[in-house]
Amino acid sequence: MSGGKGVKRNGISRRGFLKSGGATLAGGAIGIGAAGTAVASSESSPPAIARLLRKATLPAASGARVVVVGGGWSGLTLAKYLKRFNPDFDVVLIDRQSAFVSFPVSNAWLADQVDLDFLSHSFFDAANNHGYRFMAATVLGFDRDSRRVFTEQGYVDYDYLVLAPGIEYDYPRIGVDDPEAQELLFHRYPGGFVTSSELLTIKRKIHRFRGGTFVLTVPSGDYRCAAAPYERACMVAAVFRRRRVRAKILLLDMNSDIVIKREGFARAFDELYGDSIEYLPSSEISALDVDARRIETDFDEYEFDDAIIYPPVRASRLIEEAGIHNPEDPQKAPDTDPFRYHLRNDEHVYVAGDSRAQPFSKGGHTAHSEAQYVAEVIAAHARGREIAWRSPQTMCFSAVDIEPLRAMSIITYYKYDSTTGLFAFDRTHLIDRWDTQGGQASLAWAEGMYRDLFYG
Amino acid sequence: MPMSARAKLGFALALLLLLAANTARALEPITVTLEFQPDLADGRYSYDICARCHLPEAWGNDDGTYPQLAGQHVNVLMKQLLDIRSGRRSNPAMQPFVQQRTIGGYQDLANVVAYISTLPMNPRHAKGPWPPGSPEHAEGEAVYATYCQSCHGAGGEGDNTRAYPRLQGQHYSYMARQARLARDNLRRVDASMSALFTAVSATDFDRALNYISHLPLPAADVAPGVDWRNPDFQ
Ligand SMILES: Cc1cc2nc3c(=O)[nH]c(=O)nc-3n(C[C@H](O)[C@H](O)[C@H](O)COP(=O)(O)OP(=O)(O)OC[C@H]3O[C@@H](n4cnc5c(N)ncnc54)[C@H](O)[C@@H]3O)c2cc1C
Ligand code: HEC
Ligand code: HEC
Repeated sequence: MSGGKGVKRNGISRRGFLKSGGATLAGGAIGIGAAGTAVASSESSPPAIARLLRKATLPAASGARVVVVGGGWSGLTLAKYLKRFNPDFDVVLIDRQSAFVSFPVSNAWLADQVDLDFLSHSFFDAANNHGYRFMAATVLGFDRDSRRVFTEQGYVDYDYLVLAPGIEYDYPRIGVDDPEAQELLFHRYPGGFVTSSELLTIKRKIHRFRGGTFVLTVPSGDYRCAAAPYERACMVAAVFRRRRVRAKILLLDMNSDIVIKREGFARAFDELYGDSIEYLPSSEISALDVDARRIETDFDEYEFDDAIIYPPVRASRLIEEAGIHNPEDPQKAPDTDPFRYHLRNDEHVYVAGDSRAQPFSKGGHTAHSEAQYVAEVIAAHARGREIAWRSPQTMCFSAVDIEPLRAMSIITYYKYDSTTGLFAFDRTHLIDRWDTQGGQASLAWAEGMYRDLFYG
Repeated sequence: MPMSARAKLGFALALLLLLAANTARALEPITVTLEFQPDLADGRYSYDICARCHLPEAWGNDDGTYPQLAGQHVNVLMKQLLDIRSGRRSNPAMQPFVQQRTIGGYQDLANVVAYISTLPMNPRHAKGPWPPGSPEHAEGEAVYATYCQSCHGAGGEGDNTRAYPRLQGQHYSYMARQARLARDNLRRVDASMSALFTAVSATDFDRALNYISHLPLPAADVAPGVDWRNPDFQ
């Protein structure tokens, strides 16, 4: 197999073996168990623990309280539309980050096509404009019997709980099992798919790269935003081209082929970045040595100067820790009703967004269209009504070139096949030629979304 | 559902007043469609952006997330575009696509609605749950005749000159969702239409929509089959 510069073979172990300093798992919540009972039973109760056990400072609920966990694309949409569909709801949105930075369009930002202001928005604006409360806190767990959510700012009682905490990286699936090794890998070579600091690190990396081999990976499974890793490879290559850096970009794809917008991306790799991007399909990663900057696949081994390692993903650990996951599912997604989104045995707890169980594409647009429906389901439930199922839609633009920005797009819907009991793609409309109209549309799309989530 | 004679009279009066108000108000969409000579080729070009969401056939979705645009009157399409453009009708996903800086001015809007109006309709739109012959269908027919027909037409064909939407061929699920939004004041609609929500109960309204969804479509307006694909996009 072909490889990049500095490809070497040696007897590196098949599994990750790294050890280094670090604390908790990347992107994960601090686990205290589902019910918070571990905390509740703690006897010594030092101040830090006492804090967890008091009631969070919030005005008394003005109506049925809906607590939304996670202020991403799903949670922000849910909070807004819950309030809209039922103005009597008292909605509280909780996120551990203090500001929102959009992942969609962040690849264009890496290549300076928009500035950070375009991507960054305040949770306060969203809450003030839409009549709900925002709380900056990390959710540690919840207890379904007492209907209580625990955070480091204290607990909040709920009538409805909606979980939209998104995804986490699943490093063991690329052979990195040791938590400390995972932590090190996360900090040095973040994937840029979970938290906003990762994005800032990646931008610095590519704007300061001095040349050599730059590795990007595409995970397998139902990972977040199918097109984004390919789009990112194009944007990284465009930056290197503009900076005239002599670099080889190795795009290690764990899938056997480009999984989406195949023709368009293949043409871009060939026509625009033929001298920089080397696309390597079926590159199942089996081990990764952070210090030696070496990555091992089932067939080959590569050394790199810098990298963006995007491993497979799983649903937020919050779900597994609460014991509401489906143990059969490799992504540890929740055991929910596929049409109503609530836990099968609890109509007061809902899960939406990228941590959902349904196999819909993990995308911001998907999460946004789905959340409007889920908000309506919950509002109807509170009134003792039901509404008909509506499919989410997945819409995704992918930039392939800059100056001017050129992009492709795809939209797809889902249908439920009652004979197989599975969801399938309904009609799909793919525009895989990249043009400036698509580039402009991608920015218009994002602008409309931000307006909806924060201002309109 | 039957209504007392007095209530009916009151409703008729309210309707008359509203109709008068309607004719008096300057109808921007109609002025626009009258004043701009549409260019279909240009409309096809602009529709490319719309097709990224509405798909090339503009047929909408069974579950009512998207409306059928094909077959709709130009003045109605124009009114909706202007409402969405100004934010009067909330549609955040679409709003940026119908701004001056993206699609252009009135001329471009006139072009794109003219283009959409040339598209044949979906031969299999989503119908309501009660088939012809059922009591609910019959009730819907009566409600429709009393409250809706005067504007939306005996066959649900609407009225282009007065910008009353064609409902015939629209997905039942879409109409039901729009009615829910409008009733809860989440979609702003013309006073002529919103007055109905006080006069007609949610159940009766829904039956009327069910009835409309089962109305036949003129064969000439419909595409030859569900597999028809817009050749302009092949
Ligand atoms: C580079 C990139 C490009 C992309 N491009 C597109 C695109 O063009 N189009 C598209 O549609 N999608 C795109 N996506 C995908 C999109 O970003 C995600 O699908 C979307 O963010 C999912 O929304 P979510 O609300 O489920 O999760 P997130 O947006 O990840 O939100 C989850 C939130 O929960 C918070 N949270 C998690 N755990 C806790 C806890 N314990 N306590 C408190 N808060 C917590 C997190 O801080 C986070 O804010 C892209 C993603 C990336 C990374
Ligand atoms: C980002 C996706 C998107 C794009 C792009 C888009 N639309 Fe829409 N449009 C929608 C959605 C969703 C609705 C349904 C809104 C609702 O449910 O209230 C809609 C509704 C409409 C309606 C209202 C129809 C009715 O009878 O209620 C018209 C007219 C329309 N679109 C025309 C257009 C035209 C013309 C364009 C291109 C200039 C366009 N749309 C581009 C998503 C889009
Ligand atoms: C006085 C005239 C009038 C009457 C009577 C009337 N409508 Fe309407 N209807 C309208 C107008 C005008 C609109 C467009 C509203 C807008 O967008 O401002 C509309 C819109 C609608 C829509 C939304 C269509 C779309 O494409 O989004 C539905 C559904 C509808 N009417 C159903 C009904 C039903 C059912 C009745 C009877 C119970 C009824 N209407 C009676 C004038 C009327």
